[in-house]
Amino acid sequence: MLMLNCPSCGAEVSFRSKASVFAVCTFCRSSLVRQDMNLEDIGKMSELQDDMTPLQIGTTGEFEGERFEIIGRVKIGYDEGFWNEWYAMFGDDEPWWLAEAQGFYAICMECKSRWIPAREKVKPGLTVNLEPQGKFQVVDMKEVRCLFSEGELPLYATKGRQSLSVDLSGDKDQMGTIEYSDDTIRAFCGVYQDFDDYKFRNLRSIDGW
Amino acid sequence: MAGSSDPVDPKVPPAKPNRPRIKTFSCQNCGASVTIRNAGASLSVACESCQAILDVTDENYGIISKLAKAMKDYTPRFTLGTRGKLFGKEWEISGFILRQDVGSGYSWEEYLLFNPYYGYRWLLQDRGHWNFVTPTKRKPHMNSATSRGIYYLGKHYKLFSMGHATVRWVIGEFYWKVKVNRAVEMTDYVCPPEMLSCEKDESEINWAISEYVEPTVIEKAFKSAYPMPVRVGIGANQPSPAAATFKAIVPFWGIFLCMIVAIQFWALSKSSNETAMEKTFLFVTNAKRNDITSPVFNLSQDHANVEINVRAAVDNSWFYVAGELVDDTTGTSYPFERSIEYYHGYEGGESWSEGSTHERLWFSDVPGGKYYLNMDTESDGFPPPQGEREFTITVLRDVPYWWSFWWCALAVSILPVWFWLKKRTTEVARWSNSDYSPYVSSSD
Repeated sequence: MLMLNCPSCGAEVSFRSKASVFAVCTFCRSSLVRQDMNLEDIGKMSELQDDMTPLQIGTTGEFEGERFEIIGRVKIGYDEGFWNEWYAMFGDDEPWWLAEAQGFYAICMECKSRWIPAREKVKPGLTVNLEPQGKFQVVDMKEVRCLFSEGELPLYATKGRQSLSVDLSGDKDQMGTIEYSDDTIRAFCGVYQDFDDYKFRNLRSIDGW
Repeated sequence: MAGSSDPVDPKVPPAKPNRPRIKTFSCQNCGASVTIRNAGASLSVACESCQAILDVTDENYGIISKLAKAMKDYTPRFTLGTRGKLFGKEWEISGFILRQDVGSGYSWEEYLLFNPYYGYRWLLQDRGHWNFVTPTKRKPHMNSATSRGIYYLGKHYKLFSMGHATVRWVIGEFYWKVKVNRAVEMTDYVCPPEMLSCEKDESEINWAISEYVEPTVIEKAFKSAYPMPVRVGIGANQPSPAAATFKAIVPFWGIFLCMIVAIQFWALSKSSNETAMEKTFLFVTNAKRNDITSPVFNLSQDHANVEINVRAAVDNSWFYVAGELVDDTTGTSYPFERSIEYYHGYEGGESWSEGSTHERLWFSDVPGGKYYLNMDTESDGFPPPQGEREFTITVLRDVPYWWSFWWCALAVSILPVWFWLKKRTTEVARWSNSDYSPYVSSSD
């Protein structure tokens, strides 16, 4: 683990994953960009609107027998709602994501497919080949923006960061996402798993539940 | 905050402000007070007094949609905020929609359930039948474009209904921005006790899997203030108890039949079917002749059956024999009597006949030994002159026997056949509510 100090308030900011390049200071909510051992303050993160999520930074869970811990989150909003993408760290430094919305939980990671279609070509119903996971279908696509982020993250999740998010559905419980932002195109694929199967620990306590 | 001092322990981040979860504001449309219970999770809320759908994500709580012509009032069975434990998890009733089929005007109740850990479920009430509905991301697949069925998790679901649904009345809060005036295309497929439903509009397709729930389970979980509605007919995906019983007893039925067949084959292979005696005797036509005695014959083995065949050449006449099979050593007797009649003729352009010229009878479990027959005879209807005629007695030892086999097979089949008929009656009743009944020919 790498410990650095927040350039704004001096509090300690930890980087548990080598893949993390961004963090939000837990004390002063400064958005911090990491370059090697240096942190640059690029502005304040807004306050979180409570969304009743049961997950939090520090929540641990299991997927395919491997234990992971949540170390960061990006809250993504669009016209019709929002969802959370939780940055999950397994034993290695591979960045995994736990996408959470309305009681659905999908665990996914970036897949480097050569077949990602160009932004202009994407439309609902299009079949996309995300090797080696197989074929996926475009379910819907929406313009999204980053509403909030916390913890450490492998991307510059500054508030207001915009992208086009394309939802894919595959065979059985497989899911996928393609994210078209100004600078990058990234595809993620993974699977849905029931809440209980994650064997979550250290969940957030929700008032009244 | 100054960076030089060391004000707080870095391991304990500052506590998040603990805001009360319930929020109240005034409706933009009518000014009535609107309450949100699950702020942060809900995206829209319906105003109780004017039925306007308000945007919870908007700080001004803007109006998303309004019912063009809302019903005046409606009383949902459960109060919003009521919690109940169903299938081991706690659910809170978060919203209610009274939905209506555009074509038929038929309406049903939908209660939205919420649990922050597990998300959302629905409780559907239709003609007293309840369903617990779980949204699914897993896409079912069609067999072919023309097929009326669909596959989901290896099970086949049959097309049950198609229609367009709208909102008639709404209350509570929802996880999407409810657009009340938009009809959605609905398709239901059934495989009792489950149902697979598809809701489709211009922007999305949502699938959900429902499970039939007994009304008593719902009543116990959510403690309704009103008596549960009476069930009408058979629910689309209501499990049929007869079908379950039939399915459970079929293997036993098969086993019993196999056993009976095996026993019968074993008995057949074992039976010696030997002729112990065959002899022709004389009787007097249209009179009695008594005390006809056969020669002594031997019945081999212990405890086997005996078949006695009686033949007489009757022709529009009858012959009657009353006799006994007598054990020559002990004197034990096995009495029997048989009438042999055969009539035929030609009447109204058709020939007819009834009766036959021979009869059979059986004794089971006759000990081995020396036996003879003692018989009295009588006859009538023979053409004159009076004279002697022949009748033949054949005694067979250890014959194959089919009656017990057929009776046993019938006895073990009564229950399965009865349950099959009951199951079929239920299915016909179920599908009478569908436009796609397999029990109605598609030609009409």
